[in-house]
Amino acid sequence: MTKAIPLKAKDYKSGVKPIWCPGCGHFSVFNAITKAMAALAIDRDDTVMVSGIGCSSRLPAYVDSYGFHGVHGRGLAIAQGLKVARPDLTVLALGGDGDGFSIGGNHFIHACRRNVDMTYIAMDNEVFGMTKGQASPTTPMEWDHSKLTPHGSGVRPFKPAALALASGAPWIARGYSGNPNQMAKLIAEAVEFPGFAFVHVMSQCITFCPEQTDWKSIVHEREEPALVDADDAAKLFLHEDGFQTGLLYRQERPTWPPTAPQEEDDALAALAASFAV
Amino acid sequence: MATEAADKELATFLAHSVELESEALERYQELAESMAQHHNDDVAKFFLRMAREADHHLTEVREIAAECDLPELKPWEFNWPEAEPPETASYEAVHYRMSLREAMTLALGNERSAQSYYAQAAGWAKHPETEKVAQRFADEESAHAAELETMISELVGKGEFHRVEDDDPHMPE
Repeated sequence: MTKAIPLKAKDYKSGVKPIWCPGCGHFSVFNAITKAMAALAIDRDDTVMVSGIGCSSRLPAYVDSYGFHGVHGRGLAIAQGLKVARPDLTVLALGGDGDGFSIGGNHFIHACRRNVDMTYIAMDNEVFGMTKGQASPTTPMEWDHSKLTPHGSGVRPFKPAALALASGAPWIARGYSGNPNQMAKLIAEAVEFPGFAFVHVMSQCITFCPEQTDWKSIVHEREEPALVDADDAAKLFLHEDGFQTGLLYRQERPTWPPTAPQEEDDALAALAASFAV
Repeated sequence: MATEAADKELATFLAHSVELESEALERYQELAESMAQHHNDDVAKFFLRMAREADHHLTEVREIAAECDLPELKPWEFNWPEAEPPETASYEAVHYRMSLREAMTLALGNERSAQSYYAQAAGWAKHPETEKVAQRFADEESAHAAELETMISELVGKGEFHRVEDDDPHMPE
């Protein structure tokens, strides 16, 4: 019997060359995803990457798995539908802060609440990059690099981790594009977690936000175990600087849709059989 | 028993060396491709050259490692001085408008980091074979760094850069 040769991270790359700007943090996320897939020996034929629109949402094309480049902000809706219809698949939803927290914000809230067994990786560069640099929901209020907001947006950025927690997300982690190996570990854990796993990645856009090159000196790794108490996590997420990386919160709860009792499955199967031609 | 410990130390060191050179190769390739996509051809060619250098070194390391039973480590199980392996160019250190001089200076920093890593490994090694191999790798990285220093000193008129994005107007002004 021939022993299967384990796949390496590069075997999970499709060969399509990314068109992101050199220095873009999304390269790091891409590498972290393929490293996590190799570490978990994930079957490429049973994996689907679903995205919305934006620079980061190009990622499914670069991974050698099934992919769906969806509609702006709707990556999560498509991914949840897919996972519910095909629970046997490994489903990852991917997108950016503009896609996921602005036009897709409502889907994000309800995905956290619903708790479908899947992974959501939000690549947050605090800017709409594909349209050449406008303020997003996570942009600092004083950021004045865009001609649309020459004096800053004047609007407080919201905190994705706090919003995820308040909406019911059972697994919340934060990675940083300057540390792809830690991120790969987080993504591997997220994929293995039985429920909606939210990986918030600080993924720099050095083209439109050159000041983000400083993130490397700001990020700090969480040394304590993940919080399991939502009250403690709420305090953390409301008062932290937003640059703490690692698994921050984990509290397993039942996924959606609930597993049907066996007798319901049997009844459905009998009903389906009665219509068989 | 002493031989077993020596073999384990060497295998662990070589596993790290293979990973270090593989990551450097893949990052330089990735940077070369992305620079070419953004029409920074001088820098793309230079990063491609660095990728070839890393590939040569990787081949050499693999040849030495061929007789060892290397431990299978997950990416996050390697022990590096910083977040990424020493010779891997940081993402935030590049820009599509970076100059050839900046690219060479970045690569020089990477070679020096690798040299420092290998030299420290040689210093920490408890067994002579690991020390010998680590010192050899450190010397090779020193030679690469010296070559880059020469290339930088011979560089004329490639140091300019314009990193401010010249964006289109978004609205009438």
